Formats: sequence, C-alpha cells, structure tokens
Amino acid sequence: MLLFQEVTSGRLATAWEKAQHPDLSKFLIIGALLFIIGVAGVLTRRNIIVIFMSIELILNAANLNFIAMSRYLQDTGNVNAIAGQIFAVFVIVVAAAEAAIGLGIVIALYRNKETIWVDEIDILKW
Amino acid sequence: MILSGWETVFFWVFSIAAIFAGLLTVMARNTIHSALFLISSLVSIAALFILLHAEFIAGVQILVYVGGVMVLFLSVIMLVNVGSEERGSEEIFNRPRQVTTSVIFCALLIAGLIYAVNEGYRGFEKRDVDKIQMAAAARQNREQALDQSATGASRMTSDTQSLGGSLYRYGSLPFEIASVLLLVAIVGSVMLARTLKQEAAVDDVDPDVLQKEVALDPELAEVQSEPTA
Repeated sequence: MLLFQEVTSGRLATAWEKAQHPDLSKFLIIGALLFIIGVAGVLTRRNIIVIFMSIELILNAANLNFIAMSRYLQDTGNVNAIAGQIFAVFVIVVAAAEAAIGLGIVIALYRNKETIWVDEIDILKW
Repeated sequence: MILSGWETVFFWVFSIAAIFAGLLTVMARNTIHSALFLISSLVSIAALFILLHAEFIAGVQILVYVGGVMVLFLSVIMLVNVGSEERGSEEIFNRPRQVTTSVIFCALLIAGLIYAVNEGYRGFEKRDVDKIQMAAAARQNREQALDQSATGASRMTSDTQSLGGSLYRYGSLPFEIASVLLLVAIVGSVMLARTLKQEAAVDDVDPDVLQKEVALDPELAEVQSEPTA
C-alpha cells in the first residue's frame, strides 16, 4: 500500500498526468518511432518492394513532424505557421513521384535479373 | 497544442495503431500483407493529421497514398514473382550480423531522438508559455466566429482555405515545379518499364545492341521491320 502511494504520487503519476494531455512532444516522438521503423526496414529487409514501402513510412514520419510543428506554431501565434502544411503537400508530391520511378526501376530490374532480392542485384559490383 | 478528453483517447489509439502497423509492414513475410499494413499505418497517420487540425492534408494523404501510391505498389507486387518468399524458402531479412548491427544502430538513434525531443520541448514550453496562453484565447475567439456545421456538433474549419491561400500566394513557384516533376516522373516510369521489343518497335535502341539481340531472338527483327503505327 505504501509502495502504491509512492508510485502514484511519484514519477509514474506525473507520467500518467502527461499521458492524458498529449502535447507537441508526443507527436514528435510518434514521428521519431515511425522514422526509426522505416530506417530499420530499409537496413534489414531483402525485398526491394518492402524497402520502398519503408521509405514511404520515413516520408510519412517527416510529414507528421511538419504538421505537428505547424500546429504548435499556429498556437503560439506565428503568422507563417501554415508553411509546415505546404511542405507536407510537397513531401506527398515527391513521394508519389519517387514511388512511380522506383517501381518502374523494379519492373525493369525484374525483367533483366529475374530477382527482387537486393543482395542478388550486384551488377555494379566490381 | 494540448489535447484533452476524447482527443487523448483517439490520439493514443491511432498512434499505437500507426506504430504497430508500421512494425508489421517491416516484419510481414508476405509482401501483399506488408502493403496492406502500410495502408492501415497511413490511414492512422491521416487520423492524427485530423487531430492536428490539418483536415486537407489528411484527405490528400488518403487520396494520394492509399488511393494512388499503394495501388501502384500492389499492382507491381502482382507483376513480380514473390512466391519463394511466401512459401518460406527464402530468408526475408539480411544476414544476422547485418540485422544485429542495424537494430543496435536504430536503438541508439531512438534513445537519442526521444531524449532530444523531451529536452528540446521543455525549453520550448518555458520560452512560449505566455504566447501560448494569449494565442489560445485569440484562437478560441476566432473559432467561436466560425460557421456551425449542418449537424451542429462542430464548427466548419477554415484550415483548407488558409492552406490554399498560402499555397498559391507563397508557394506558387514550387507548386509549378512540382507539376513538372510529376510529368517527368510519369514519362520516366513509362520509359523505364518498356520491354526491349517495345523499344525496338519505336526504333529507340542502339543499332549495335540491336544487332546482338536480334542474333539471340529473331522475333525482334520482325518487330523492327514492321512500320510503326
């Protein structure tokens, strides 16, 4: 019982209090986690299509950060805060272009090498 | 920007959903499953955008990503043969040593990022505490002045209006450049995805290369001799 009181009045209680009112830092941490998951996917997977999907995840984490910062700056009365959302639109455009080109390359590669495993695509290796 | 009440519940539900779906995207054995998990992750992130009062970006995210990019991904997965991966005869990750190194790297990165975000945000809070209170009052006044929606449950936002205004006022040159970029991407992907036969048909292959290839595959010569329509 004493332990329980100590825990509820200690750091855990403040953490619970903070969890009930998520602020900018929570959004940034979610963005960071998604970014790391994307990086891990790029570094560990062998399938080139899944690597492309991980890149989309990374771009989306960046978008989440842009939007969260834009909202925070709106709340502090910054007149140029909407620029974050404009940036997010351009990130989405670039991601779409990147997916179109990347998947074109995947198809051309599959036609020539008959593989989608990145460790078997070593034509440029000396 | 401090959420409260039901917004908090939705925040935790959608952020945990986004992270789990992201993890499963990276770990799923079947590539189609990866794509579907990525779709659910993107939809959860779109819900987070709505919580952040960026309704237009949320709509664009669902239209462009889920409706466009992911459909492209799914059709490419169907074009390439991933059967060996699904049957389990192929390893889906790199060699163990590479995986261990990259996981350690990612763990260090995440520890650093969380520490930096927490420390940095504490500084932000201290600096902006007066501004936030003043701007919150101003914002509440502005929101009271907005039109009621049809059901009366909420008010119409002016987010899309202000985003569109700023996009054309300050970002019109990048906007035009982005349209050229998309055009280049379309032309480039059509170019990349052509077969040798299609390239020969429009006379777009180096003559020396074509001679070598014709020696291997006589059908190519016929394609080339046909008049292009």
